[in-house]
Amino acid sequence: MSENIYTRKMGEEYDIVFRQCVSLNTELHKLVPLAKQMHLLSSNAVSSAARAGTEGDAFRVLTQDIQLLGDEVSHCISDTQKVINEIVTLASHLARSFSSYIIYLDLLNHLDEKTMKTSPKYFESGQKNVVDDIRDNNNKLSRCLGTLSNLLSPVSTLVKKGEYLAVCSSVEAASAGEHGVSFEAVATMLRELVGQLGTQSTRQSSLLRDLSDAMEKQQQNQRNLMYAR
Amino acid sequence: MRVEHLFNKNTHSWMVMGRDDDRRKEVIDTNQYLIQHNGRGILLDPGGVENFAVVAAEFSKHFDLADVEAVFASHQDPDVISSLSLWIQTNPNLIVYVPKIWVSFITHFGVKLENIRPIPDEGGFITLGGHDLEVVPAHYLHSPGNFSLYDPQAKIFFSGDIGAALLPEDYTDLFVTDFSEHTKSMEYFHRRWMPSNAAKMRWIAEVRKRDVEMLCPQHGAIFKGEDIENFLTWFENLDVGSGWSSVR
Repeated sequence: MSENIYTRKMGEEYDIVFRQCVSLNTELHKLVPLAKQMHLLSSNAVSSAARAGTEGDAFRVLTQDIQLLGDEVSHCISDTQKVINEIVTLASHLARSFSSYIIYLDLLNHLDEKTMKTSPKYFESGQKNVVDDIRDNNNKLSRCLGTLSNLLSPVSTLVKKGEYLAVCSSVEAASAGEHGVSFEAVATMLRELVGQLGTQSTRQSSLLRDLSDAMEKQQQNQRNLMYAR
Repeated sequence: MRVEHLFNKNTHSWMVMGRDDDRRKEVIDTNQYLIQHNGRGILLDPGGVENFAVVAAEFSKHFDLADVEAVFASHQDPDVISSLSLWIQTNPNLIVYVPKIWVSFITHFGVKLENIRPIPDEGGFITLGGHDLEVVPAHYLHSPGNFSLYDPQAKIFFSGDIGAALLPEDYTDLFVTDFSEHTKSMEYFHRRWMPSNAAKMRWIAEVRKRDVEMLCPQHGAIFKGEDIENFLTWFENLDVGSGWSSVR
């Protein structure tokens, strides 16, 4: 395959990687209101347990578990936000470095060694710096994607835990009769929130898989381009 | 593409590069200048990312660009210096002289602070291979942080966007050939881009204090001989900051 085709393919891959990073960023930002709702749910659980008075011992135990779950979800969301911000920045650096790489290719094509007073090595060192930047940012991006994947993997466990807590809350609310009415509302809200978390986490995992695939292709093209030169 | 020596005596020279016919038509044509003294070089307004490859390739035929130690940016516009990060990637020790007020803006072009030498508002001198080049304030012409550069040895005054002309495509001369005709290509640019008559008058007075044989803008043709005074008089009488009314 010619250098030009690899270059064009690499440009397309960078485009795809950048767009996928932005999509993942958008999806992950949707988790932020969810973290706030989890916090609200914890407060509701506390007040519902208090309203149940002496009948609310089981609710208080469940409330503690709901609070712990809320904290875990919040931490997970806040950690993913930091990593995704870094991922978007790295993807944008990569796209910029690749533009510079193309400009250097253009420059090297313009050079006429017979008439030059400047050694081509002078420009090749510039191009090498750009290639080093690309490699460096690529490695960082791969590492960040690994970190993000690790951060997102416990979400499915958290969802199961939340579903289990919702069932327990409903059972306890039903057995407490009229004292359990407001805690049943807590159970319903918990079910909805973990449902949303589950749906969003499935979508994010799928986007992350696509992004990792695109990164692999782009890195393969980069290697091919280097060999082609 | 034209590359010509404007001055060449002993170890001191000025080169200009302009009229890039191969550029995309939506990209404004720019003049790039290279001053050499005792084997050291400085680029004046080296241009945007769009023409970096051409500028570097053309100048490299005439000078070892490894000896270019600095870049002077008259102001912050993309056609003036958006290529900076590419020049610095090629030479990480490159010094970049920019108006002080634009430092934190110019870093958006991917330039690190260690390469930047901010020029104070009052101007000063840049020393190249033991030769002093004078940096003359030209604020508000058009940028609020803007400088011209005067070389007393070559008697060349680099004016940045002042004196710029949006030339017709078939104009290939590097110099102004018919001043009266040339004003047609300058008038709208100066009315629209230059915001201050007071700044204009101060700058004209500064130019007149100096012995100038060539006045070199970043766009369009170069003024020499009596066309320098023709330009200063024309500019003096032009009501700048008024171009917007014609597009309302």
